[in-house]
Amino acid sequence: MKVLIIEDEPAMANSIAEYLSGEDYICEFAPDYKSALQKIIGHNYDCILLDIMLPDGNGIKLLEEIKAQGNEDGVIIISAKDSIEDKITGLHIGADDYLTKPFHLSELSARMYSVIRRKSFNSSNRIIQREIEIDLPSKCVTVNGNQVLLTKKEFGLLLFFIGNPNKVISKSALAEYLSGDYADMFDNHDFVYAHVKNLKKKLSEGGYGSYLKTVYGTGYKWEK
Amino acid sequence: MTKLLNRSLRSFSIYALFVLAASIPAYYYLVDNIWLKELDEHNDIIAMRTAHELNAMRLDDKELKRSIALWNEIQPGTSLEPLKGASWPKDSVFTELRANPYLKRYEVDRFRGLQRPIKINGQSFLLTIETNMEETEETVIAIAGVTLIFFVILVAGFLIINKRLSKNLWKPFRVALQNLKEFNLNHQKPITFSASEVVEFTELNQALEKLIQHTITVYKGQREFTENASHELQTPLAVIKGKLDILLQDEPVSDRQYQIIEEINWALSKISRTNRNLLMLAKIENHQFEEHTEINLSELSERITLEISEHYSIDGRPEMDILPNVIRFANRPLVEVMISNMLSNAIRHNIHLGAVGITLSQNALTVSNSGTVSLNREQLFKRFSSGSEAGSGLGLAIIKEICIRHNWKVDYHFIDGRHFFSINFD
Repeated sequence: MKVLIIEDEPAMANSIAEYLSGEDYICEFAPDYKSALQKIIGHNYDCILLDIMLPDGNGIKLLEEIKAQGNEDGVIIISAKDSIEDKITGLHIGADDYLTKPFHLSELSARMYSVIRRKSFNSSNRIIQREIEIDLPSKCVTVNGNQVLLTKKEFGLLLFFIGNPNKVISKSALAEYLSGDYADMFDNHDFVYAHVKNLKKKLSEGGYGSYLKTVYGTGYKWEK
Repeated sequence: MTKLLNRSLRSFSIYALFVLAASIPAYYYLVDNIWLKELDEHNDIIAMRTAHELNAMRLDDKELKRSIALWNEIQPGTSLEPLKGASWPKDSVFTELRANPYLKRYEVDRFRGLQRPIKINGQSFLLTIETNMEETEETVIAIAGVTLIFFVILVAGFLIINKRLSKNLWKPFRVALQNLKEFNLNHQKPITFSASEVVEFTELNQALEKLIQHTITVYKGQREFTENASHELQTPLAVIKGKLDILLQDEPVSDRQYQIIEEINWALSKISRTNRNLLMLAKIENHQFEEHTEINLSELSERITLEISEHYSIDGRPEMDILPNVIRFANRPLVEVMISNMLSNAIRHNIHLGAVGITLSQNALTVSNSGTVSLNREQLFKRFSSGSEAGSGLGLAIIKEICIRHNWKVDYHFIDGRHFFSINFD
């Protein structure tokens, strides 16, 4: 899958590419408005990561340009600005997601996974990983054909893990993901353990092969 | 506070009162002196005529004596007396006050007199002429009366002119004032003032336009700074965070190294939390949250409480006592931040197995948690004053700032081993 990273900070762009490299992603870079525009016009991408604060132009304009091309590229806005107006404008023009810096790469990877799936599979969107089958539109999870009832948080966690196969995910990344809007509020991450434990328990009751591993005491890893 | 025009009206009226009051004695002396001069002239003419007529009659001594007696009898106010002694006195002029003998009530009349020696048929006589003149009080009263009438006319005129002036002359001023009142820095819409023919108003309008333009520029600059500061800090933070995530993928990482990475992550989220809260404070202070709508506080508090307790269920859920349908006119994002800050504070600072409660009544929102000692009320709402190791130290400062924006009152009490933070809406 082809990914275009439009980001003026090379260290940032490289980190993203390096994190994604273990999976089926091919990353291209565009550090400024001009080169980004060239790439957008000339190529199709499965996902475009767009930093809307570029040194030589507004990323929102670039987004309009992407949409004007009529391609089905998924777009995730990466912004240092935590501004509601920008978020609304971006999503309104046609971005698929909006991520505020600083974020964990696992969070980005999970979101990219879901954007790409949404774009390419539309309504018949099913994820099948060995004995686990997830029907995304209905949020129905089955293990070996047996339905597993998950809470909203547990379902989110499962998708998060599937979006980060074979990666070590720190507890703090999971905490940030789980607390969403309230990420700023809490420093106690004990709730992560409780949610992961419940998810594991429910999946193993259905008989999954224990791909969700605990590493280094408090980190996790989803083995594909 | 008085209106500018009323203030000048008062000064004008007082000045007019003084001038007119001072004019009363002036007029009196003027009128009285004219009176005196005219009466003296009058007396002089009568004296000359009397002497002339009596001489022209060419009476003999006997007839003269009888005539003079008769004269004295029938001519009131004048008398002719033979002049005794050889000396020829000079004319004498005098003013005399006398009671009127013909009136039953006591009334004093003022007379102006002239005594002059005249010669009739070679004999010397002393002629006395007295003419009644207006009394001092009567003159003063008459003048004062007229002056008072003029004063009233003057003040009435002032009032009418004043009203007209404030209606017409001050119109551009009032228009400009209205414009200024409606000006909202958040909308950044410059005001255009209508042109005026008055120099002062034109200058005022120009100065105001310049000031507003400058304010908007500074405001924009400040906003840009806020955003740039955010950008400049968030990107390096994102880089660090990303690099740590990558570091974790390098196998094998020791447990010790993993712990270090997690500690860095923890510190990083604290920095970004502080950064975000500082920006939040700056934004509130820059009036970037001015849009007010009707908010159902009951639903909002309930939703936030449930969401927060969802991933913080270790010490049990907060006790909710929320009155339904409490509606307030406020800024939604700010109120959300306020409620979640209050709740997360209560949860974070709660003691082990303590209780957390949220109470909403028609005019107050109170969040409480168990505690051991009362906090310092003076220091509590200042920035970075909290004793919390993990918090940004800005949560309460933000709550206070939000309350200021909405004209609410935030207060803290410690009662029976429980911290109470309350927002009073009235």
